[in-house]
Amino acid sequence: MIKLVGQRLLAMVPLLLIVSILTFSFTALLPSDPVDLIIGDRGSNEQHEQVRERLGLNDPFVTRYLDWLGRAVQGDLGTSFFNSVRVTDAVLLRMPATLSLTFASVLISVVVGLGAGVAAALRPRSWIDRLATFGATIGQAIPNFWFGLILASVFAVTLRWFPATGYVPLGENPLGWLLSITLPALALGLSTSAALARQVRSAMVGVLQQDYIRAARAQGLSSRRVIFRHALKNALVPVVTVLSFQITVLLGGALIVEQVYAINGIGSLAIAAVRQQDIPMIQGIVLILVLVVMGVQLATDIVYGLINPKARPA
Amino acid sequence: MSAPTLSPTTATGTAATTRRRPRWRASTLAVVIPSALVLLTLLICALFAEALSPYDPLQQSLMDALQGPSAKHWLGTDDLGRDVLSRMIHGSRIAVIAAAEATGLAVLIGVPIGLFIGYRGGWWDWITMRAVEAIVSIPGIMVAIVIIAILGSGLHKAMFALGILYSTAFLRLARSVVLTEREEVYVKSARVIGASPRRILIRHIFLNIAPPLIVQVTLTVGAVLLAEAGLSFVGIGVQPPQASWGTMLNTAAAYMELNAFLAVPPGLAIVVTVLAVNLLGDVLRDSIGRGVRLPAATPPRPRSAAIARKGTAPLPAREDDALRVDGLEVMVSPKGGDPVPVVTDMSFRIAKGETLGLVGESGSGKTVTGLALMGLIGAGGRITAGQVTLDGTDLLQLPPSGLEKARGTDIAMVFQDPTTSLNPAYTVGSQISEVLRIKQGLSRRAAWDRTVELIDRVGIPRPAERARAYPHELSGGMAQRIAIARALSCGPKLLIADEPTTALDVTVQQEILDLFRDLQDEMGMAMLFVTHDLAVAADICDRIAVMYCGEVVETAPVEQLFRDPRHPYTAGLLSAMPHGASGTPPLPVIPGAVPTPGHWPTGCRFAPRCAHAAPGCALPVDLTPGQTTTNAERLTRCIRATDLTLEAAQ
Repeated sequence: MIKLVGQRLLAMVPLLLIVSILTFSFTALLPSDPVDLIIGDRGSNEQHEQVRERLGLNDPFVTRYLDWLGRAVQGDLGTSFFNSVRVTDAVLLRMPATLSLTFASVLISVVVGLGAGVAAALRPRSWIDRLATFGATIGQAIPNFWFGLILASVFAVTLRWFPATGYVPLGENPLGWLLSITLPALALGLSTSAALARQVRSAMVGVLQQDYIRAARAQGLSSRRVIFRHALKNALVPVVTVLSFQITVLLGGALIVEQVYAINGIGSLAIAAVRQQDIPMIQGIVLILVLVVMGVQLATDIVYGLINPKARPA
Repeated sequence: MSAPTLSPTTATGTAATTRRRPRWRASTLAVVIPSALVLLTLLICALFAEALSPYDPLQQSLMDALQGPSAKHWLGTDDLGRDVLSRMIHGSRIAVIAAAEATGLAVLIGVPIGLFIGYRGGWWDWITMRAVEAIVSIPGIMVAIVIIAILGSGLHKAMFALGILYSTAFLRLARSVVLTEREEVYVKSARVIGASPRRILIRHIFLNIAPPLIVQVTLTVGAVLLAEAGLSFVGIGVQPPQASWGTMLNTAAAYMELNAFLAVPPGLAIVVTVLAVNLLGDVLRDSIGRGVRLPAATPPRPRSAAIARKGTAPLPAREDDALRVDGLEVMVSPKGGDPVPVVTDMSFRIAKGETLGLVGESGSGKTVTGLALMGLIGAGGRITAGQVTLDGTDLLQLPPSGLEKARGTDIAMVFQDPTTSLNPAYTVGSQISEVLRIKQGLSRRAAWDRTVELIDRVGIPRPAERARAYPHELSGGMAQRIAIARALSCGPKLLIADEPTTALDVTVQQEILDLFRDLQDEMGMAMLFVTHDLAVAADICDRIAVMYCGEVVETAPVEQLFRDPRHPYTAGLLSAMPHGASGTPPLPVIPGAVPTPGHWPTGCRFAPRCAHAAPGCALPVDLTPGQTTTNAERLTRCIRATDLTLEAAQ
């Protein structure tokens, strides 16, 4: 297992380097001059030069990249062009809200998806099977932010069961945290859970036809044990791969759904940075998001190795 | 034995199947027609937005702000008093433009690059694919946000960003088509005969890329519509006051408390449009990807005559019987068809410590018989008659829980392919100890110790270490030893072995047969040994029951069966056995083929292929001891059993 983690970590280095090169080089593509953005049009040529020098904009591209990379490795992603906030601090400040939302929605997606998927596999063509199929088709077509709007208008504005907006940090008030992320997490998680249920169902149906399931029954193991111990673990193997991809999608979806519930997460930070062309901030957000995605992939790889012995390096 | 009919392997021809015209089914039409209507409406709205809109979508009227639906404004008004219906209609134009721009750009960027790197390979391919992987590892919306940061917001710029984002899918698709085609036989053979493979490659790539490309386009259009709405919703896509469904939702979110209805029309429009595109894409994928679906085979009608008959007289009871099967009948319902008998009038018995071989060709019903005894014939199959008495208990009368209890403890089974009958996700040891813990209530520790003992007993060296191995780490022979150890772990009275050596190497087969013999001597269980191989049966069995078309045609002790077969089918099987020596004349073959279940003759099922068939064979035949012998060990299902002199095996 340690070997597997080591291999995965090593494989991430080149990917991370490529992402960093891509995100960094887009500064060269920006149509506007960051100096103008910072001091406006009024500054004198001297002031311009000073700022250029301070930002290191006169250095060659490769020097600037290596310089930035060197500091990025140490956790310093520079400071915002607009307020002297350190990018790392700003991103880390917003990250808990986005991650809470993402993982709560992953949880909903997994719980509902697994349950419905297994139920559908055990009773093909039952109402739950049809519901999962229908839900997966509809779920693919519903913009999750719109679903969020509808949920908010019903459960927050009309019924007042949940707060309509805002995010309460977990450390501050656990119940408030739960209430604040329930609706957005449902908006995100439910639509993907149907798709996941379809995956679980088809994997499960395939596994239930395997010889080892019949052999386990032949040993007199109970149906429950055969389904939940012998079949489910094997059915999860393809599902984990899909889930890894879905978490990335949910993370992206969280950036938008945050806006519906006025949650100050990475989404609003990124959108503000785009509007202001705050280059260091955008670079930092992308890099940290990629780190999060890679962490998720590493975790799913480990889970994959745990449930699928064939995937472990010999 | 009958040679299996080889289905002709069709030539690679994906192109051939794709160009066959799909036959539309009613259920398909129920999807296609509404979807097409939705998209047609969308197009008409987009093209004639000015003519169709009752109002100017930008005309403000603050007096009429935030109204609900009315005769004047069918869908109400927004915060600035603009007519929602008119904005919806103009929004459909934006949706069409957005989908066309972003998808078109994605194709134009992705396909050429994908074709190029697929064809060139090498560094071009490596670098591009790493960049694609990097882009794909970032949430898509973030990629779009970054590109919009460079380009600025607005409809066309945002769609440019989405075009770049989704081009990665087309790039990968084009590349994979080229890579597959490069390896195709016709390209390689063009190379071998010295012709330029390039022309043939180009032609085939264009033939083969079209179907997946069309499917990918529909997927992308759906994704673009959702992404455009999302970007416009957060304010970096289409900019106000321009009416897009996304910007309208932005407004709706701001005025949710005052007029919740504002969110409904644009949201529904997005859902319905994306749904229509996706559903059409599904239909396209089905009709393109799989070619024409074969019509479902008409289910064969059961022959009622085969069922309605009195059947063989119950076998006389014996003191040492471990298992008695009397008049067992199994029906299988094919999908959507009437039930068809697959096993009928099945009667045999096995004494304690005895091995009965169940021999027959594939499809004769031997495996189904084994599974029926276990109560494991699965969905679609049903035991419709008979008794299965194991040590005095009728297994068929047991409730499901009782049968579950008996399985593993009283009756166990070893399957044909050991590599698939062990669960790949658990160590082999844990699969044995699980049975011991559950069936015998052993503690975790005791179960494990016993497991290692069992693994040692079935002749696996270093048992403690092997117990921690996963099935894929063991050879087939070793895996079968494990499966045997698990089946025997609770000391069953009856072991059913279903072709347990068929999947193994010939050298290993003998070792496994020896193991069965040893274990039976030690544990004294009865054994039902299912096999198609008479030589294997002769080696391990005490008696043999020959099956044909779902019934036993002859049972006899091994010696007698080989020396003096009474049923013409048995004789045919024996003479078709190779005898090792070279230079023997070609093996005689039984003429004709085994009829499939549902197509069995009403009388003797072997009669149409039998050289000795007589008029009396047209009636059902029972399994009888015959007239000349009173030996209950010898039963034959043939009216001429006594008057025929069949050639015995040499």
